[in-house]
Amino acid sequence: MAEVRSEIGNLKSDTAHVTVEAIAWVTQFVGGDGTRRKVFKEPTTPGATVGSVLLQVSDRFLKLRDVLWERPGGNLGEHIEVLVNDTVLGVTHTLESRVREGDRITLLGQYTGG
Amino acid sequence: MDQSTVEEPTVRVVERPVRQDLPGGYAGSLLRVDLTSGRTWAESWSPEDMRLYLGGTGLGARILWEEVPAEAGWDHPENRLVLATGPLAGLPVWGTGGLSVVTRGAMTNGATSTQANGFFGACLKYSGFDAIVIQGESSRWVYLSVHDGVAELRDAASLVGKDTWETQDALQAQHGLSGHQMSVYSIGPAGENLVRFAAIAGDYGHVASKNGCGAVMGKKRLKAVAIARGSGALRAADPRGLFQAADEIAYDLKTNPTARSLYEYGTLWGVLALHGQGALPIKNYTTNLPPEGTDMTVWEAPSLRDGFDHRGHQCNACGMHHCHMQVIPTGPHRGEMVDEPEYEGWAGAGWAIGCTDPVAVSWLNTQVDRACVDVNEFGWLVGWVMECQEKGYLTKDQLGGLEVRWGDTEAAARLLQMINHRQGFGNVLAEGVKRAAETLGGPAAACAIYTLKGASPRGHDHRARWEEMLDTATSSTGTLETGPPIHPTEFGLPARINPLDPDAVANNMGRFLGRRHFEDSLGVCIFTTRTLLENVCRALSAATGWEYTKEEAMRFGRRTAALLRAFDLRCGLGPELERPSLRYGSIPVDGPAKGQSVEPHWEHMLDVWYEILGYDRRTGRPRPETLRALSLEHLIPALWGK
Repeated sequence: MAEVRSEIGNLKSDTAHVTVEAIAWVTQFVGGDGTRRKVFKEPTTPGATVGSVLLQVSDRFLKLRDVLWERPGGNLGEHIEVLVNDTVLGVTHTLESRVREGDRITLLGQYTGG
Repeated sequence: MDQSTVEEPTVRVVERPVRQDLPGGYAGSLLRVDLTSGRTWAESWSPEDMRLYLGGTGLGARILWEEVPAEAGWDHPENRLVLATGPLAGLPVWGTGGLSVVTRGAMTNGATSTQANGFFGACLKYSGFDAIVIQGESSRWVYLSVHDGVAELRDAASLVGKDTWETQDALQAQHGLSGHQMSVYSIGPAGENLVRFAAIAGDYGHVASKNGCGAVMGKKRLKAVAIARGSGALRAADPRGLFQAADEIAYDLKTNPTARSLYEYGTLWGVLALHGQGALPIKNYTTNLPPEGTDMTVWEAPSLRDGFDHRGHQCNACGMHHCHMQVIPTGPHRGEMVDEPEYEGWAGAGWAIGCTDPVAVSWLNTQVDRACVDVNEFGWLVGWVMECQEKGYLTKDQLGGLEVRWGDTEAAARLLQMINHRQGFGNVLAEGVKRAAETLGGPAAACAIYTLKGASPRGHDHRARWEEMLDTATSSTGTLETGPPIHPTEFGLPARINPLDPDAVANNMGRFLGRRHFEDSLGVCIFTTRTLLENVCRALSAATGWEYTKEEAMRFGRRTAALLRAFDLRCGLGPELERPSLRYGSIPVDGPAKGQSVEPHWEHMLDVWYEILGYDRRTGRPRPETLRALSLEHLIPALWGK
């Protein structure tokens, strides 16, 4: 799948990074056109969690913040499916789970059709 | 007979009584048809019953319970085929051409509730009827013609053998009506030959597909129902309020982040979204990974739509950019007109059988619609045949020399013809994958996807969506009974759950049961009710003049679910059958849900679900106190003997 890569933040060599990718429909909430994917390399600090990384990204994109959360810092809303390393959130990770170098968080549009 | 000549009607009735006491939105009469005697008549129904049963699935459930005894199986003349609209059908709310088909279906031999849209509901209401209730069995092929209060049974000999699109073409030509002037719902060759998963389709691409309702229609020798757009008016109790509610629903569909994807592209986003979650069924559940090198950008909604020359094909009063017709751009069928597949079509005529070419899937999907069988069951059946042939469980000779390899849509189309006409092994396959697997036996039996009740799962891999597996296995409608929760926070449920958390899954399904029955009783498309339930209730209140709350809506839905469950229990479908088949409940070998097993959690999920609903876990019956709370006291003697 073609990628539009955005490198964000201070990429010091000793900083751990987590990949956050918005897929297709969700890209419209992070400056895309609703197709393909947008990928962000997010620098993280020690103790960073799935939730804190998502807050970090959604603080930069207000449209994403509106659709991702019921309220910022609270529970996730109903519109975006979050996967960590290709597994739906809740199975191997929760919002409180620590992230590690190389982890990948995927934002997928919720689907309630047929 | 010259098709351009309209025949003398076999039966010509129906004078509609003038009703002054009706709630808004209702035509006021049910059209009754007895195919054995050839009699048709109008039957009034009371405002009290309208509020209690609404229409659609609610009305159909009542008719099944009251009129179809245990000994009248799906193929018995006393079985009823109910084609019902609802109080919103024909009114200026988006997607209000719908109908619910309710019957005792051929797959489970229990209750069925399955929906389709287009223009049927509006045309029927403008002709003066809220529903058609068909009983008996004709001695020859007939079709039912309805126009402005006149119902006629006409000879259908010239239609036999035609597919659903050809049937609509022929009847529109015969009646001199085209486009939206006439809605035609019919069966294809599959229904004529009692293929157990035959469907009823109409208005070029809309299919009531579940639980073999087309086989029921075929057994009654009713080829089609053709309804001319009547000239009758419908009254809304509060027209201004109705417009306001309709506008707010439309605004919500256009702006809500989830609903907006449906508004713009219908169900086209399904493949990509479900693939990401491990819920896209690939090659009969043998994998969750697309073939190496598959370009998934092709499966993004804009690419799917723009990959074809297309135009909108909207249903009654609908502003969604959902239904489309399109033209096959390349390959052996270049230039043929097809209907844009729904997600279920992309899955059943594509991914489930290993085909990842949208052009080929699009063509095959329309052949399935025209023939006319349930595309979900078709996918499970053909995927099973492909896997069995690959593994040597089913030989080329058994299939009459046919080789059916993964992704071969042309071979799948030949299988479809064998099934439609019950040719050779097609006669076994025409019984659906559960019965075909039981017939073949051995290791092949373990590869088939079904519920023990005999229902076909929707076109997802529910091993990554336990909500829908639980819903499908416990359902009393032959398909999903609850569906994915819409705006769950409106009911105090969490916005999101872990889809593999057994407690959360059972809790969600138990607490949400009923909303879909309510929606399916209104004569409106479920994709245009992807809004707060409160908004839908406002539209219903404005249409009818009632004060209808979301609490009443959910109570109505629960009552309908309990009624359908009582009917299924009377048909012998008890809790011992509420399980997935071996393959359906198996452990994914790869993909996002790899290694996750529903099996250890199954009984616990049922325990939670039963408790929430107030059903008895051992017998499956709604408890007496549950029935009383739902104003279904009259079922207690039948279910509990006291």
